[in-house]
Amino acid sequence: MKGTSRTKRTSSLICLVLGIIITIVAITVDILATVGFISSDQWYRGPLLILGIIGIVLGLYFYPTIKHHRNIINFLFLFPLLFAFFVTVILPLFLGLFYSFTDWDGIQFHNIIGFGNYTRMFKDPQLVWSILITFLFVVFDMILVNLVAFLLALLCTSKLPGMGFFRASFFLPNLIGGIVLGYIWQFIFANVVTIITTKYFDRAYSLLSDTNTALAAIVVVYIWQYAGYIMLIYITGLNTIPGDVLEAAAIDGASPLQTLFNIKIPMIAPTITICTFLTLTSSFKQFDVNLALTNGAGFVSNFMGEILSEGTQMLALNIYETAIKSNEYAFAQAKAFLFFVILACVSIIQVRISNKKEVEL
Amino acid sequence: MKKKLLSVLLAGAMVASLAACGSTGTDTTNTSDNTNTEAKADDKTEEKTDATTSDATGSLDSIRLVNGKPEIDEQLKTLASKYNEETGNVVEVETIGGDQKASDALKAYYQAGNMPDIFFVESNDIPDWEGKLVDLKDEQWTEDTDSELVVDGATVGFPYSVEATALGYNKDLLDKAGIDPSTLTSPAAWTEAVEKLDSMKDELGITAVFGWCAEPSNLGWSSGTHVFGQYLDAGLAYDDRTYIDLLNDGGKIDEKRMKDFADFIGMMNQYSDPALVIDGNYDSQVAGFAEGKYVFVTQGNWIAPNILSNENYSGFEMGFAPYAFEDGIDTIIGGVPNFWAVYAEGHVDAAKAFLQWCSEDSAQQILVEQAALISPYTDCKYTADAPFAASIAEYIANGKLSYWHTMEKKSGLEDKTSVIFQQYAKGALDADGFTSTIAQVIASYYAN
Repeated sequence: MKGTSRTKRTSSLICLVLGIIITIVAITVDILATVGFISSDQWYRGPLLILGIIGIVLGLYFYPTIKHHRNIINFLFLFPLLFAFFVTVILPLFLGLFYSFTDWDGIQFHNIIGFGNYTRMFKDPQLVWSILITFLFVVFDMILVNLVAFLLALLCTSKLPGMGFFRASFFLPNLIGGIVLGYIWQFIFANVVTIITTKYFDRAYSLLSDTNTALAAIVVVYIWQYAGYIMLIYITGLNTIPGDVLEAAAIDGASPLQTLFNIKIPMIAPTITICTFLTLTSSFKQFDVNLALTNGAGFVSNFMGEILSEGTQMLALNIYETAIKSNEYAFAQAKAFLFFVILACVSIIQVRISNKKEVEL
Repeated sequence: MKKKLLSVLLAGAMVASLAACGSTGTDTTNTSDNTNTEAKADDKTEEKTDATTSDATGSLDSIRLVNGKPEIDEQLKTLASKYNEETGNVVEVETIGGDQKASDALKAYYQAGNMPDIFFVESNDIPDWEGKLVDLKDEQWTEDTDSELVVDGATVGFPYSVEATALGYNKDLLDKAGIDPSTLTSPAAWTEAVEKLDSMKDELGITAVFGWCAEPSNLGWSSGTHVFGQYLDAGLAYDDRTYIDLLNDGGKIDEKRMKDFADFIGMMNQYSDPALVIDGNYDSQVAGFAEGKYVFVTQGNWIAPNILSNENYSGFEMGFAPYAFEDGIDTIIGGVPNFWAVYAEGHVDAAKAFLQWCSEDSAQQILVEQAALISPYTDCKYTADAPFAASIAEYIANGKLSYWHTMEKKSGLEDKTSVIFQQYAKGALDADGFTSTIAQVIASYYAN
């Protein structure tokens, strides 16, 4: 008995050591090929790496004692997910952070420039402007989307006929992709709204051709797209208010307005918190409608002493354009990291508040 | 039972997705497995041997070409099959483009280790690929063309098509109004002609004289690159780099020339269709020209397919007139907008052989007659039957083609300038305001 466990132990150890050696060789070949010491056409490096990892896993798996065995099985079942998470989230995050300290152009980098990209970022009027209008946009959205959605929800929970149809049609814009929606509204602003503005305001051109009105237009389109979705959450919230409370209020002679402000709104306070944060994070990340509707274009005659050409460019679009159009991938990475920090802060605050109120959803 | 079924399905989906990941991971190493072995006895020695692709059909390795012009995708596939028929070698054509910028997709290809052997480049992409492109200066085709892309003494781009832009005109309408387009070589002549055309609007049945669109979000490339390019090159000799060098030297402009240019644009704004100029789009601009609503259009020969496919196109002849914003400007701008480059770590010899073949007779026939490209090769016998082709050929023959150095400006500049064209069209800026604003915007973009 002891003998078999010893042979098992040695064989598993051999497996483990071989696996580690093969993995190290494979990774070394990989690094050498990337750096350029040897040709990158080493077809065997993929299989070699897999072989090495299988060796390590087998070594650990066959290592005696039940406890080890169980741990490694637990790990093996988690491995696909952990691996996918590592490769698609953790690795790019740190790689991105690393690239933001270099002069990477999307293909290769030549120098490590430290905090150069970060200091330059705050001297860039276009970026400062983008951050400002993004915050402005978020504030407007948060208030207006919730207001509109709540009113729609009240309407949809009333006993009027045909509410199923209205509910579906309010939700429908959310199912259309942002890009398609942007082009549809571009057409509406250029060809339909101009008829009205020409008649009453003597303005023959589209709302999208002025920075201020274009920003308002983006807000309008965004509300149109997003209010239906938030409305659904409010409807669920309103439906969970117990009927007996409303009935008691009615018996006590509360007017509909009193019921609304003193009973319905306090009862759905957790829903309001959730909806507020949903709109907050999603409008921070606004990209597709912005891209399709104005592509950032907008004239600002003086901001921080400079003329800006991209007055409707929000933060996400700014990052994209820095990378794609200006071809400054590293600079865009630095901006993206700032974006990440802002969003992370918002999310942490959200989680804190939600936990405090013990929201159930 | 239901739960079990669901879990089996989910597990199946997971396995399938893993398998899918696995296959994309490995296909870079054995791309040529599917090409059947029919190797000809040919002992061509190669500098770079590649074990995995030695079983291609012809004498050379199978290669991949990434094309960035979706409109000629089908014709390039025809070209590849013709090449296969004549030489037995294999070229696979992949097309990216349309809504995705080819140079970005190529960066992703590079990161994934999936680089093609020949790929689409524009001249301002070249610095990014430093050290990764093959110098083609010893190739035979370089003797048959002047348009190859030379950067820092190395020939890195194979030219395959010439494009040109200026003010496209509708010859029928000009004839009716009694205007000879060849006289439009000074601002005075233009003003006179435009006023005459404007006064004859009803007789000619036109909406406006110019089909000019300064909408920045979708057509920024037109105003910011092509129309702006007229400021850089109109009237200059093919190799004259005066204004592009000035621009790339920290974003300087020649104020006198810019002011004249602004005045000309001002005239275009005044006589344009108000529904088009501020917030129109490409389709309505080209359709309006094809239907005879505009006499002039501010696009290039690439609109030809859209015009021919328009059902209201009456078959009128068309040509190009110069943007004569200063006396004596009589050239149109054009050149080779994009090239094919050869990747240094790919199958270089096979790629070189294919490019050489592309510059020769049978390939030129396909490129010119089927893809309607204008050939940059002097020994090409074919002429495209496309609108504008004759007009461009005439300008080239007379030495009246200015090179479009606008492709060499700092990338992304068009997004900064196109809005200013729109502001000018809207009347928010006057000619002086346009000149000073554009100067300021360009300078600050170059400074950043």
